[in-house]
Amino acid sequence: MVDVASLSTGAQALRRDAAGPSGPKPRHALSRRNIFLYGTLIVVALYYLLPLYVMIVTSLKGMPEIRLGNIFSPPVEITFEPWVKAWATACTGLNCDGLSRGFWNSVRITVPSVILSIAIASVNGYALANWRFKGADTFFIILIVGAFIPYQVMIYPIVIILREIGIYGSLTGLVIVHSIFGMPILTLLFRNYFTSMPEELFRAARVDGAGFWGIYLRIMLPMSLPIFVVAIILQVTGIWNDFLFGVVYTRPDTYPMTVQLNNIVNSVQGVKEYNVNMAATILTGLVPLIVYFISGKLFVRGIAAGAVKG
Amino acid sequence: MSNSQRPNQIFRNLNAKIASIPMILTALVVFVGGTAWTVLYSFTNSKLLPRLNFVGLDQYHRLWSTSRWLVSIENLLIYGAISLVFSLVIGFVLAALLDQKIRFEDTFRTIFLYPFALSFIVTGLVWQWLLNPDFGVQRVVRDLGWTSFSFDPLYNSSIVIYGISIAALWQGTGLIMCLMLAGLRGIDEDIWKAARVDGIPMWKTYLFIVIPMMRPVFITTLVIIAAGIVKVYDLVVAQTSGGPGIASEVPAKYVYDYMFFAQNLGQGFAASTMMLLSVVIVIVPWAYLEFGGRKRG
Amino acid sequence: MEADIANPSVSIQDLSLNFGAVSVLQTLNLDVAEGEFIVLLGPSGCGKSTLLNCIAGLLDISDGRIFIKGKNVTWEEPKDRGIGMVFQSYALYPQMTVERNLSFGLRVAGVPKEEIAKRIARAAEILQIEPLLQRKPSALSGGQRQRVAIGRALVRDVDVFLFDEPLSNLDAKLRSELRVEIKLLHRRLQNTMIYVTHDQIEAMTLADRIAVMRGGVIQQLDAPQTIYNRPVNRFVAGFLGSPAMNFLKGELEAGAVPVFKADGVSVPLGRYQFDGDGGRAAKPCIFGIRPEHIAFGDAAGAMPFTAESTVEIVDPMGSDTLVWTKLGGQIISFRVEADKTLRNGDAIRIGFDPARASLFDAQTDNRL
Repeated sequence: MVDVASLSTGAQALRRDAAGPSGPKPRHALSRRNIFLYGTLIVVALYYLLPLYVMIVTSLKGMPEIRLGNIFSPPVEITFEPWVKAWATACTGLNCDGLSRGFWNSVRITVPSVILSIAIASVNGYALANWRFKGADTFFIILIVGAFIPYQVMIYPIVIILREIGIYGSLTGLVIVHSIFGMPILTLLFRNYFTSMPEELFRAARVDGAGFWGIYLRIMLPMSLPIFVVAIILQVTGIWNDFLFGVVYTRPDTYPMTVQLNNIVNSVQGVKEYNVNMAATILTGLVPLIVYFISGKLFVRGIAAGAVKG
Repeated sequence: MSNSQRPNQIFRNLNAKIASIPMILTALVVFVGGTAWTVLYSFTNSKLLPRLNFVGLDQYHRLWSTSRWLVSIENLLIYGAISLVFSLVIGFVLAALLDQKIRFEDTFRTIFLYPFALSFIVTGLVWQWLLNPDFGVQRVVRDLGWTSFSFDPLYNSSIVIYGISIAALWQGTGLIMCLMLAGLRGIDEDIWKAARVDGIPMWKTYLFIVIPMMRPVFITTLVIIAAGIVKVYDLVVAQTSGGPGIASEVPAKYVYDYMFFAQNLGQGFAASTMMLLSVVIVIVPWAYLEFGGRKRG
Repeated sequence: MEADIANPSVSIQDLSLNFGAVSVLQTLNLDVAEGEFIVLLGPSGCGKSTLLNCIAGLLDISDGRIFIKGKNVTWEEPKDRGIGMVFQSYALYPQMTVERNLSFGLRVAGVPKEEIAKRIARAAEILQIEPLLQRKPSALSGGQRQRVAIGRALVRDVDVFLFDEPLSNLDAKLRSELRVEIKLLHRRLQNTMIYVTHDQIEAMTLADRIAVMRGGVIQQLDAPQTIYNRPVNRFVAGFLGSPAMNFLKGELEAGAVPVFKADGVSVPLGRYQFDGDGGRAAKPCIFGIRPEHIAFGDAAGAMPFTAESTVEIVDPMGSDTLVWTKLGGQIISFRVEADKTLRNGDAIRIGFDPARASLFDAQTDNRL
């Protein structure tokens, strides 16, 4: 510092000799601010992680250990039996083939529902954004307002409709219900995305002679993969986690995983096996959790968009 | 391109209309038709099957004199107030803490948000286990020496709704935090600089400048929380099944039980119409404030 | 001028700022005299706004010291530095009336009510915003908002004003109006002002001295005319002036009278004022001449250097016309009055005074 000073003017050198603060303001890693800030965040983070930890720990203990011990203590003897039992032999009513049945039901519900709802909503959003026709906006507004109507109001009329068509209680019926109730938010998502795409692109394609489906398949679809990923995340977690529609529109042998889980855990007969219950609970939460941890920031975008769905 | 010759109006833009058929059907048949149907049948004495036998407001009179419904409404109000206040406050505080240019921001955000990926059923069952008086928090604290310690919200009818609220907050606050964080990130950084130059302490900057600036974010968040409150159902089913007794019943469960178990459709329709009414009361003023001022065209 | 500053209002000594491995400001020194209007000018990303934020205390510096009014403020909070700041986005508190915007900081600081009222009245009078005091910022035009933002700095009753591109969000007409107002404000208040901009017209019109910055380093710190006429390097020469300075590549030939040579053209540099012994050695160099310093037609004959050429392109700009031609095989432009009618292919004669040119070393880009 001093030799640099000797290069500058005398007046500066004079002032520089006077001692005084220089360089960055000293900050202590353990300042009161940091202790408060990180302390609070860590305590809250532990609170949020605690249930997950307890779930995992409980599912790895045997019942005798659970009765004696403390729910927070790690398992003395790790056993995977509860997991096996939850998956393969836990009973709901008369069925004793575990959660596996519900898992496969949920897969059979989720996959077609996600595909169908996104297909309908993306094409619809594209029509609303680029091929507007008279009256389209009115229907769209009704659709968005409808998203706020409590499902309970519409449950029973849909039961009647499905019964009339003859698919009440089948997986097909539930897939249609999921597509209907996913429509408002997804259509909004796709419509807004397609509206934000440059109009010139669409015009250029039309000048080139491409039609409604040609533009959708060859131009819009390839350019909007991120929004499709967001929609998939939104729908997979939403449909997998659904309980109400599952319980209303399916029969015991076609119950989705959430409904079956609730029946296993909250069944009144028999001895409560908490370790099996927790293993079953984790198994049910696993699919959305994996989607969450893999998708990261896209999940945040998805829920920000889907938050309206509640 | 069908419009080169301009044929019949109906066939113009035909593909777009075909693509919109599911939307039109959903909007008209399910949303408008279904809602109107339910409201209409709420004035009938339908029991096992819907029947157009009008009885005026009888179902509503019965509804409002049923103690289970009154308990449901009371619970909904308590649960709603708790959800609203605490998820807003906690969500905002967490967002503000995460906005301090901290290290590991992504890690913290991931932890605070993961419960939101879980279903209400999973959430309810986990907290049922944690709050289990024989094995959960109460037992652990008693084992530590405080033998008279009592914490059994799910088995105590006077506080059971608070036990449900704990689980709901755990599940949903992360979302509110994310919305708030997005709102905070939307504040012009120059505002913070100006406040620092003006010598305004951080908490006053938040209170008097930033929070008023985030009004639209708060309103949107409020609507989201409110819509979620009215729908609360799975959580209660998983955690307490409405018990002990009827202490934790909620309107959505009342509707479901009367429609599908009690075989008293008219009651179910009346109760669901009341739910619709409460949503209208929340949504209409908001929509008016949000969109009423700036109508298109 | 530099050496005269015995008691600088703002003094920056060996200031460095690094963001991780990226060095944004490098051992920067700057003394600003009492009452001086300094403009920090440069392209975006040159560190000018960063420097201003460091002076304000809004960014933590990596090394060096900052003095304001002789007081070491390196570790001080912004509010204790005796500065007021005006931002590009105005940064008004949107939910408060203009009056509250002006008074909020003072109230928090516990200034007595009468004093606040007095200061607001004065600021409002100076900036002519009295009728706006009860309005909210959303009800103001861009120009009015920026006036209020200046007012917020004014009521702080400070010695140093910092402006961070205050006019960039305004349209061209308002910008020139407010520019004049800021100049008048400075004349009336006689405060020290440090003003960041990328607009060379603002810099030229407002500044007592301009600091041209690039890559976190001050390239040249001088009076506007000096910067314009005697740029220290090719960057400064090219950054100021519109249309930009013409650059011709060529060779410098040393001798009693050094000569610039480029493909059939040789410009004797007897009248050119070399920096130090820049003219002694022969080397590749770049010859710079501003379009407005090239004469044409009869006026060209009076110039020490003349050349014959043909018109390539004519660009009418309204107030004048820009003509593109070739000199030494390289494209150059010059300005003529708008009423001169020139066509493509016309044979013309151009001339200039080499004393007004700038010569740069082709290797270092520095002025010779």
